[in-house]
Amino acid sequence: MRMAESILFLMTKAPYGLEEYFAGSRASLAMLASGLIGRSTLLLVGDGTLNAVATQEPQAIGMPSNMEATNDLEDFEGEVYAIAEDLQARVGEVAVLPSVKLIAWDKARELVSEHGIITTF
Amino acid sequence: MAKTLLIHLRSGSMMNMDSNVAVKLARAAIEKGYNVRMFGYGEGITAIKEGQDPKRFPNVGKEIGELVQKGLTVVVCGTCCAARGIFRGEEVKGTMIGSLTNDLSKFVSEADRMVTLAR
Repeated sequence: MRMAESILFLMTKAPYGLEEYFAGSRASLAMLASGLIGRSTLLLVGDGTLNAVATQEPQAIGMPSNMEATNDLEDFEGEVYAIAEDLQARVGEVAVLPSVKLIAWDKARELVSEHGIITTF
Repeated sequence: MAKTLLIHLRSGSMMNMDSNVAVKLARAAIEKGYNVRMFGYGEGITAIKEGQDPKRFPNVGKEIGELVQKGLTVVVCGTCCAARGIFRGEEVKGTMIGSLTNDLSKFVSEADRMVTLAR
């Protein structure tokens, strides 16, 4: 019997230096690729919103690209959201990845209520 | 029908108390009649390494081995294991090295609740 059909990943950690964003986005991708979970969504909050910045250059430190990990989700219709005010508070106006939708907390609350399982990275 | 609890463990077995909390939570839920599954991801995979021998701390591997006998299902991420040099045959008996796509997704799809333990 299937119970949870959706999962929301709260992404709270800044890119690089910590493995959480890459690990979480790969887990989300696996949910979608399995075909068992209909909806797997990333919600970037706090320092996690820094993963939405479009001008990351991970090759400078020889790390896997969090941008690629984010964009890979698009191939499986994975949704990626970031809290606009959290990103603004950290870096002001910046270009964000096209696959990331900037939202307000009201929308974030809706996302939380729409998903059956929530986990934090 | 018994409900299913999924424990998502991401802390290493000796990093902090998370793995001990995971084992205690699993034991309590099993005793209350829950189906309990545990998935180790990232450093969490170290919980199933056979041969752990902490001198002054709880032996998470041993406790997981005991709980497997009582019905606990434990699978860990194979990619994470390979990255850390842990391979099949080195896991606690009854646990399994698996994958995100085949195992965690199935566990999530069948879970009533999921608890994430991470540093």
